[in-house]
Amino acid sequence: MTLSRDDVDHVATLARLGLSDAEKTRLLGELEKILEHIARLQQVDTSMLAETAQVGDLINVMRDDETVPPIGAVAALRNAPIADGSHFIVGAIQSSELDG
Amino acid sequence: MTASTITELAAALREGRTTPDALLADALAHLERADAELHAYLTVTRDLAQQQADAAARILRDQPATASPLCGIPMALKDVLCVDGIETTASSKILRGFKPPYTGTAVQRLFDAGAVCIGKTNCDEFAMGSSTENSAFGPVGNPWDVERVPGGSSGGSAATVAAGTVPYSLGSDTGGSIRQPAALSGVVGFKPTYGRVSRYGLIAFASSLDQIGPFTRTVEDCALVYSVIGGPDARDSTCDGRPMDDPLAELRDGVAGMRLGIPREYLGEGTEPGVRAAVEQAFAVLEGLGATLHEVSLPSTDVALSVYYVIAPAECSSNLARYDGVRFGQRVDRPSLTDMYLQTRDAGFGPEVKRRVMLGTYALSSGYYDAYYRQAQKVRTLVGQEFDAVFQQVDALVCPTSPSVAFPMGSRDDPLSMYMCDVVTLPANLAGVPGISVPCGFVDGLPVGLQVIAPRFQDSRVFRVAHAYEQATEWHTARPRFATDAA
Repeated sequence: MTLSRDDVDHVATLARLGLSDAEKTRLLGELEKILEHIARLQQVDTSMLAETAQVGDLINVMRDDETVPPIGAVAALRNAPIADGSHFIVGAIQSSELDG
Repeated sequence: MTASTITELAAALREGRTTPDALLADALAHLERADAELHAYLTVTRDLAQQQADAAARILRDQPATASPLCGIPMALKDVLCVDGIETTASSKILRGFKPPYTGTAVQRLFDAGAVCIGKTNCDEFAMGSSTENSAFGPVGNPWDVERVPGGSSGGSAATVAAGTVPYSLGSDTGGSIRQPAALSGVVGFKPTYGRVSRYGLIAFASSLDQIGPFTRTVEDCALVYSVIGGPDARDSTCDGRPMDDPLAELRDGVAGMRLGIPREYLGEGTEPGVRAAVEQAFAVLEGLGATLHEVSLPSTDVALSVYYVIAPAECSSNLARYDGVRFGQRVDRPSLTDMYLQTRDAGFGPEVKRRVMLGTYALSSGYYDAYYRQAQKVRTLVGQEFDAVFQQVDALVCPTSPSVAFPMGSRDDPLSMYMCDVVTLPANLAGVPGISVPCGFVDGLPVGLQVIAPRFQDSRVFRVAHAYEQATEWHTARPRFATDAA
């Protein structure tokens, strides 16, 4: 399976990575080599194998639905790059081509 | 301190030969000397350490009989473990300045036992790497040769124990990130059974693989730290609810009569001759102690690397979606939200993180999901079945921890050759089984590690085999110059 420059553009958009052209070119080459190596996965006969859904054997981990004190707005906002004391502040979401 | 174990320091504290204050002063002085060359630390937590040393002194004075063996003893934490109010960056620019609002479970359990945390250790960015060269804040030197890597991703945690600054530290292991640096730095490093140690407060890389575990100078110390951090935790729903067995209970039972398997694929062509020779000598030691050795096969070892490099990037691409410049970490401000995301993540993530996020996003994307992610999860089942099958034949596996000794910085600039570092450690993460690395010799002055792997929840058996080997040899007593020319 070969990778195209369009694939790299598409995946970078999905991953929300604003890569430079030079980075995309470098990644195209690197990812192609890695995917070529990973291609050996396709040679394994998996017709009789189920997917691993979890490593252990846990079933329905439940706890009582008890209210505990929340972290609180002050602590929750302390690490925010921009906040106004009760909200995280971000730019307009409507202006985006990607989200439109 | 520089040569001491937790067990020795705990005895010294109780016999009045030292105090938590004196141990802390020693550790900080050693850190200052060693770190000028090693760069094992990103943050030194003097104030926290002093508070904890003072509290430990009170506990040792008032309740010496019930105090934990860890009480008053300095330690360090990989910078992916959250501590309330202490900068935690995962060695990434995107988290510079981030001070978590809470402390993770494994760390809190150590703090409750009286541990004295002297700092946060350097690592590969978001724990992605095998050399600690992917840290956004510069690489870590190997205490045995500072021009070489200490392994990774928990390189700082391995190096600081090897150098003799602290007797133990915590790291995290997603594909070998505790065991491989332990091997390359000449210390003991343990990855517990998946689900035995809570990941609450661990910055997530790949959630079906990540485990927290200790670095120590002896296997006994390793079991001791594990006995404190392990066990059920309601804050991590993937943490197993079964109570912990005492990991020290069968430590001294020896290996006489045990059946030990040598996976032939783990000593393949990529294994350096010196590593092979050291590990084969270790096999002979174990045989001399009464174990029987059996060649076994894990046929999917080769393809396991491919499974890992689909699943780990896929999970990381999802886990790292949270770094969007909104709630924490760095932001590159732009008028539109999407531009802010794009520029923040481009500026904040380093090359290896971007590579894995791209690879994982691709593997999960429409049209490729079945061929990559779903196929990898099926082959992962096969990897697990092969472990189950060999553990029908043998009690534990013994093998190299790394195909190579510590390599020079900058010598593996091709991503694939770096990924090969983990070829004999990552299958244990895929299968969720416990593994340890214990020092087993040197090649040209560089340490070699012996890996012991056991079935899930047989963590005690890993310690039992490793301890028997360690006690029959002197390798664990060797120290680099940082530990011998000090104080």
